[in-house]
Amino acid sequence: MSDGDGFEPTIVVFACHWCTYQAINLAGTSRMKYPPNVRVIRVMCSGRVDPQFVIEAFKNGADGVLVAGCHPGDCHYVNGNMKTMRRTVMLEKLLQDMGIEKERFRREWISAAEAKKWVEVVTEMVEQVRKLGPLKLAEKREVVMNE
Amino acid sequence: MSSEEVEMEGACPTDEIRIGVYVCHCGLNIAGVINVKEVVQYAQNLPNVVSAKEYIFMCSAPGQDLIREDIKKCKLNRVVIAACGPEMHEPTFRAVLEEAGLNPYLLEMVSIREGSSWVHYDNPEAATEKAKDMIRMAVARARNLEPLEKMRGEVKQQALVVGGGIAGLTSALDLAERGFEVHIVEKRPVLGGHAARMGQLNVEGRKIAGKDLVNYLVEKIKDNPNIHIYTNAEVSKVDGSIGNFTIKVKIKPRYVNNKCTLCNKCVEVCPVTAPNEYEYGISERKAIFLPFDGAYPSQYIIDPETCTFCGKCVEVCPENAINLDEKEKEITIEVGGIILATGHDPYEPPIGEYGYGLSPKVITLHQLKRLLSEDGPTKGELIIDGKRPKNIVFISCVGSLGTTPNANQYCSRMCCSASLIEALHIREKYPDAQVFFVHKDVRTYGKDESLYWKAIDNLVKFVRFEESPKVTVDKDEVKVEVKESTIQERLVIPADLVVLVTGMVPPKEIENLRSLFKVGCGGDGFLKEAHLKLNPVESLTGGIYLAGTATGPKSIAESIVAGSAAAAKAASLLSKDTIEVEPIVAVVDEDKCSGCGICVSICPYGAISLEKREDGTRVSKVDPMLCQGCGTCGAACPSAAIQQNSYKDKQIIPQILAVFER
Repeated sequence: MSDGDGFEPTIVVFACHWCTYQAINLAGTSRMKYPPNVRVIRVMCSGRVDPQFVIEAFKNGADGVLVAGCHPGDCHYVNGNMKTMRRTVMLEKLLQDMGIEKERFRREWISAAEAKKWVEVVTEMVEQVRKLGPLKLAEKREVVMNE
Repeated sequence: MSSEEVEMEGACPTDEIRIGVYVCHCGLNIAGVINVKEVVQYAQNLPNVVSAKEYIFMCSAPGQDLIREDIKKCKLNRVVIAACGPEMHEPTFRAVLEEAGLNPYLLEMVSIREGSSWVHYDNPEAATEKAKDMIRMAVARARNLEPLEKMRGEVKQQALVVGGGIAGLTSALDLAERGFEVHIVEKRPVLGGHAARMGQLNVEGRKIAGKDLVNYLVEKIKDNPNIHIYTNAEVSKVDGSIGNFTIKVKIKPRYVNNKCTLCNKCVEVCPVTAPNEYEYGISERKAIFLPFDGAYPSQYIIDPETCTFCGKCVEVCPENAINLDEKEKEITIEVGGIILATGHDPYEPPIGEYGYGLSPKVITLHQLKRLLSEDGPTKGELIIDGKRPKNIVFISCVGSLGTTPNANQYCSRMCCSASLIEALHIREKYPDAQVFFVHKDVRTYGKDESLYWKAIDNLVKFVRFEESPKVTVDKDEVKVEVKESTIQERLVIPADLVVLVTGMVPPKEIENLRSLFKVGCGGDGFLKEAHLKLNPVESLTGGIYLAGTATGPKSIAESIVAGSAAAAKAASLLSKDTIEVEPIVAVVDEDKCSGCGICVSICPYGAISLEKREDGTRVSKVDPMLCQGCGTCGAACPSAAIQQNSYKDKQIIPQILAVFER
């Protein structure tokens, strides 16, 4: 593993419009600081996040992916986040089979009021992924194929 | 339902994609951190970008003019605005596009203020780089945006109010007085909900009986030709969407018709008794009964669960008002809007919690209120186990504030005031009675604070706890043990009566309501408002409004306000002939759809159905008026046949790829 010398990871975030995206806005209006390594893609509901999107992100160079939505029981669309939960549990296994460390993929429930949680999650994730170093998916693929 | 089809064809006015990027300084909010010049130059060189400009305030009139003129001059067919997030100014800029002759959905807003300059102000270089990335992602997404048309649907100018408690009655009356026809569906055989049985209320220092408040509304409602009341009735099916709902209502048999004069002859002969649920179980009733004095409709009802159908009541009824063969009826009503005023249940402590159920000396606040009500079973006399209690101990926050393992975490708002009203009532009526108020906190908020001071003046003894008190029941003796947190001493109070100040919980039927009306619940289990501050009393589903304690604990005054607010919101919908609906809905590519039905099972709104094609195979169809635009069907479809407008794969995937096209 790389020691992360000078390495700045890129984290792709899928954020639902009603909760996490609003928490990101609140972090902004509250002038909270967090690492600039995240690139946010807004969807109406975390339930829109096709596992394929996560795989595309990793395939194209993401060092980490975060899927974030409303807390269970608090979904703007009745229960879209529960569908996200089910899909991502399966996806987690698949990603680990591909050799992607579990710290690189996270699912978090961040409500519109939880700007602080957003900052904490992102800061922690960037830190962890920075330690892991670049993903280098092609090399990993070879390792997995040889096993 | 006449809704125009979502326009899919002719994605762009010309074949060539021509994008304009507009970077806002937002005064110094953005430009003070991000190097806007550099960002504009960068945007200028992105593929398909034909114009990139900056301005101090894009949302200002000159800023809007700049975009409008650019759209025309450069023949733009996509617009990216890098400024604040879409919440505030998306409508502003959509209007700008429309005025310039461009479809308003060909706009993408990218929040370089909240998402970059405001959070990375200590690192202008990184903030500038991030802004470039964000704009590149937005341009990639904008490239594949499609023009959409708002959908229009008819509005039926009638409303359904579910729940005939104080909030529902207020909503119904307000709407009827505005001229709309209203249907009230109440599951109980009588109107008035809990408020009708709440005894004395404190209204700015004046005492008003809950029953009188309800009667005041009922008097107005029963003569209003715009209001139809269905008691002993439940909604069994909800079809349609905002502006046009079709509702099926099941009306259970009451077995007694409106010829009933409440002469009591039937009650006298009825051989069966059961605890009266309308008196919170403190008295008995017959199988034929009037739930409480002054209940409306003022006619008896037979409870089929306890009735043996012996027919004795039929024999004695002088008015021939009883018909034991009455059957359940089902009616269909068509409405434009729905108000859910479905209320709450009082928290029911489990047997043994603070001695509840182990001694007749331990009762709940609701039961005490009935005992002290002049129309209650003891005509307002406080008699427990045949005796008048001398030492009365209230224990607050039962079922609230996490005081016991079963308790909820929230505060039930009304219980402190409601119990101090009764504490004062007892002190006034029986000056020799000692009243202890054992509390975790006294939250007589707002104007009710005067109750607290009045209670102190009237020698109600306040005992504060941090650690929940213990109630021991030993045969006839009940004791409350509590560690007073101010003096840090353990007190043992012998009690003739322990009143558990019980809070509010979501009603038992909430799960059913939730799936019937497709409305969401919050973490506390109550129905959820779309936004506490921006869209109060609106549910997450269009055309459905929420009033009273359906959304969480409220006082009666607050429930009435919420009832009026929900009526006002519903009226603004019902006063329109047609309604516009956002076109960010799911659409099906019928050539790709295999008719597997995964989307049908996953849709939280029942907006998708399978239809037969001419060749006999099945295909998904979306009702665009029902679809709320979450897009979860798009994530589940194995052949990418169902897609959400503006959030299609072809719009999101390029955005993902663009992150890495540095």
